[in-house]
Amino acid sequence: MTVLELAGVEKHFGGLPAVNGVSLTVDEGEILALVGPNGAGKSTLLKAISGLQPATRGSAKFFGEELVGMKAHVVRQLGISMVLQTPRVFESMTVRENVIVGATFGVTGDRPSAAQAFARAEDALGFVGLAGYADAEVDSLNLHQQRFLELARSLAGQPKLLLLDEVMAGLNDTELQASIDIVRTARDELGVTVIWVEHVMKAVMSLAERVVVLNFGQILADGSPADVMAHPEVVTAYLGTEMKT
Amino acid sequence: MTAVVLDGIVLGLQFAILGAGLTLVYGLGGVVNLAHGQMAVFSAIVIARLIDHGVSTFLAVMIGIAAVGVLGLLIDLSLMKPVYRQKGESRVLLGLLLMLGVGFIIDGVLEWKYPIEALTIRISGDPIPILGVNMRRGSLIASGIIVVVGASLVLFFRFTTFGRATRSVIQDERGARLCGVNPATVRTVIFGLSGVLAGVVAVTRAMSTPVVSTAGVDLTIFALIVAVVGGLGSVSGSFFAGILLGIVNTFSAFYIGTYITTIVLLLAAALTIVLRPSGLLGEKP
Amino acid sequence: MTASTASAKEGAPNTAARGSATAFRDFAPIAVVAVLLALVPLNFHDSRSMMTVIIAGMLFLSYTIAFNVIFGSTGQLFLCTGALAGIGGFGSVILSDRVGIPMTLSIVLAGAVAAVFGGLLSWIAVSRSLDTIFTGIVTLAFSLSFQNFVLGRRDLTGGENGLRVEAGKDGLLDTQVKPYYVFLALAVAYLILFRLLQRSHIGWAFRALRDDEVAAELSGVDVTRYRVYAGIIGSAMLGVAGAIFAHHRGFIGTSTYSFGSVDVRVLVMLAFGGIGTLIGPVLGAAVFTILDEILVSYAQLREVLYGVVTVGLFLGFRQGVIPALSSLWDRVVSSGGRGRKST
Ligand SMILES: Nc1ncnc2c1ncn2[C@@H]1O[C@H](COP(=O)(O)OP(=O)(O)O)[C@@H](O)[C@H]1O
Ligand SMILES: [Mg+2]
Repeated sequence: MTVLELAGVEKHFGGLPAVNGVSLTVDEGEILALVGPNGAGKSTLLKAISGLQPATRGSAKFFGEELVGMKAHVVRQLGISMVLQTPRVFESMTVRENVIVGATFGVTGDRPSAAQAFARAEDALGFVGLAGYADAEVDSLNLHQQRFLELARSLAGQPKLLLLDEVMAGLNDTELQASIDIVRTARDELGVTVIWVEHVMKAVMSLAERVVVLNFGQILADGSPADVMAHPEVVTAYLGTEMKT
Repeated sequence: MTAVVLDGIVLGLQFAILGAGLTLVYGLGGVVNLAHGQMAVFSAIVIARLIDHGVSTFLAVMIGIAAVGVLGLLIDLSLMKPVYRQKGESRVLLGLLLMLGVGFIIDGVLEWKYPIEALTIRISGDPIPILGVNMRRGSLIASGIIVVVGASLVLFFRFTTFGRATRSVIQDERGARLCGVNPATVRTVIFGLSGVLAGVVAVTRAMSTPVVSTAGVDLTIFALIVAVVGGLGSVSGSFFAGILLGIVNTFSAFYIGTYITTIVLLLAAALTIVLRPSGLLGEKP
Repeated sequence: MTASTASAKEGAPNTAARGSATAFRDFAPIAVVAVLLALVPLNFHDSRSMMTVIIAGMLFLSYTIAFNVIFGSTGQLFLCTGALAGIGGFGSVILSDRVGIPMTLSIVLAGAVAAVFGGLLSWIAVSRSLDTIFTGIVTLAFSLSFQNFVLGRRDLTGGENGLRVEAGKDGLLDTQVKPYYVFLALAVAYLILFRLLQRSHIGWAFRALRDDEVAAELSGVDVTRYRVYAGIIGSAMLGVAGAIFAHHRGFIGTSTYSFGSVDVRVLVMLAFGGIGTLIGPVLGAAVFTILDEILVSYAQLREVLYGVVTVGLFLGFRQGVIPALSSLWDRVVSSGGRGRKST
């Protein structure tokens, strides 16, 4: 079943296109890695889908429903949840309280009771491995943990589609493996579809089932990791320089 | 009709210089000087006292304007220091609250010590006809002074090193620092300059209407309206907005009636913010 | 989530037990405040002028709590506290004395009118995404327009001569001691309302959007809606308080609800006590009411000292006294566990 269908999505900043006509179909249960050089428009594309920076042109359909023109909280309540490249957490709240906000407001259908939201927040924190930090203040978390706090805040709303923006940058090998497992489990057990921007090639190769390469706001290649890696244009445009990482 | 427009321009020039003083300080440091009108009145009362004591009008005016300039410098060097250490919204809020307090102090002292003092500067001589309308000399001289001051401001910001430094700080504080401009110094000097402009307001206004010791709050409000309509941080915008609002003011006062006039001005400011937050001349949001 | 039903069952009784414990901790301060304030007239009931002062203090407490809902909870700088209270005041007097509606109903209606205005202002500010300062200026313009309207529409408002109020002349709002308790009840009701809001999902939304608007939207919080809620609720509170005061005082004029006599004081009281806190308004209103009373004997110097105190306070207690005290408290008891950030 098609979860997301992008058709000619464009996003311009003062006339300059950051995303320049992206069309893409994502099926339920896919883990799709979105790669491409810095400034290719990956973050902008995710923000356009999530309603944070509305698309200038084009259409984005989620289970057939048009997203363009919707505000971010509506998109979230439909079941699309995003984790930003630079985490934005609620500074005055504890870790658990951060997740409770997501569990309370970011859900499809009726708002859950306080007890329900609490329980879902606990679950989500356990899922991303932050259960031990539930009562900590957010500023005691490091950047990586804050990203996973955002992931927990997303999962607490039981989304159908996750948009992750470089959540694995700067991790060591153990942390990276743990993160890969979390995302895979989210798909396998919770049935979430994942679109995931990543620079860390090792993670892309081991987790992604499909890779889309973005360059200058346009899709350069789309296919299995192996196919895409072999694509000559991809090699010259992007991978030639960054594959070593 | 012509008379209404000309009167509007005369008034508008005063509005303009009032707004310019407020807008400069906001543009540089994010401080909404809610004591700007009170600073103007302070200088008016200094001048009036000096004249009472037999000082010549010209000298008294010079001293009065210098005094309010120094007052501006002092406020910046003392109270504004902790404000500039803050960032974003908390800076704006603290600056606003502190200047509100300063406004109380100036207002309170003036009302306490000089409750019935007022500055009037009489310019003798017959009215001068312009476009068939007899204009009072006082109004014309006042307008002349403002045009000269305004033109010097524009030249100052365009062509002097310090002026360019100021503009660079308004655009990008960090960038300016990288270019060797010290934003703190620029802010201090501009706060002083803003004080001087408040003094100019007092003097030019006194040439057509008495500036009373309780006029501070009203002047601050006019300054705020003009600065907002012109776009906070833009001196040329202030001039444009000041003249526009001056004409609107006299028109509305002439054809509609007084209390509606003020409401019209206020709504103009509110509408500007709602429709074009960067001011009439500014870029669209 | 697969495990969620299981732990929801475990979680529910757990949270319920914690719920009653926090309920006690959340509402106990209000009870203490109510008892303390109820004792105040014992000292002053035979001094008419003192009663006037403390009733005004009580009124300002209500104003400040209402302003705290709007500004403290959602960061909207409404510089039209006085105007909204005045819409309530003039509105209720016109409805009761001119139109002939019973006083209680006219107070409610006038509160509703204030709520409509406040909600509209809030909606404009949010939908045009105005920042603090622009929201402040737009609402200030509204405030001054209202003042000019009161001055200009003499037929309705009495202009600079003011308006005599007939409704409320005899009854609960007449004289001094009874009305004090009416205003106390109002203030306590507002405190309870503030606390209830904090504890509800609306309070969660307020906290989230205060912290980070983008994160709140991403988490599913409809930022616009909750800001407008705050505008509506706070403005209704202002309108009702202003209306009750009009009927108590028996006379309202241009300065009763002016920017200078209401907004400035409310802002200072809240900022002093602690923006967004429950008890901050109580402390702010108490301190500035006492200060006003002390300064009465130096009438001419009053504004100067007020300014000096304002400047001094903001230089010294930038976050307000209650947050300063509570962080001190946290440090003192830090061995005993984490301190709560909200008061
Ligand atoms: N808010 C913005 N305003 C102007 N330009 C932007 C903005 N956000 C991104 N851009 C530009 O859009 C392009 C794509 O950026 P981005 O989506 O962040 O790239 P990526 O995430 O692929 O590194 C870049 O050229 C960037 O400078
Ligand atoms: Mg990016």
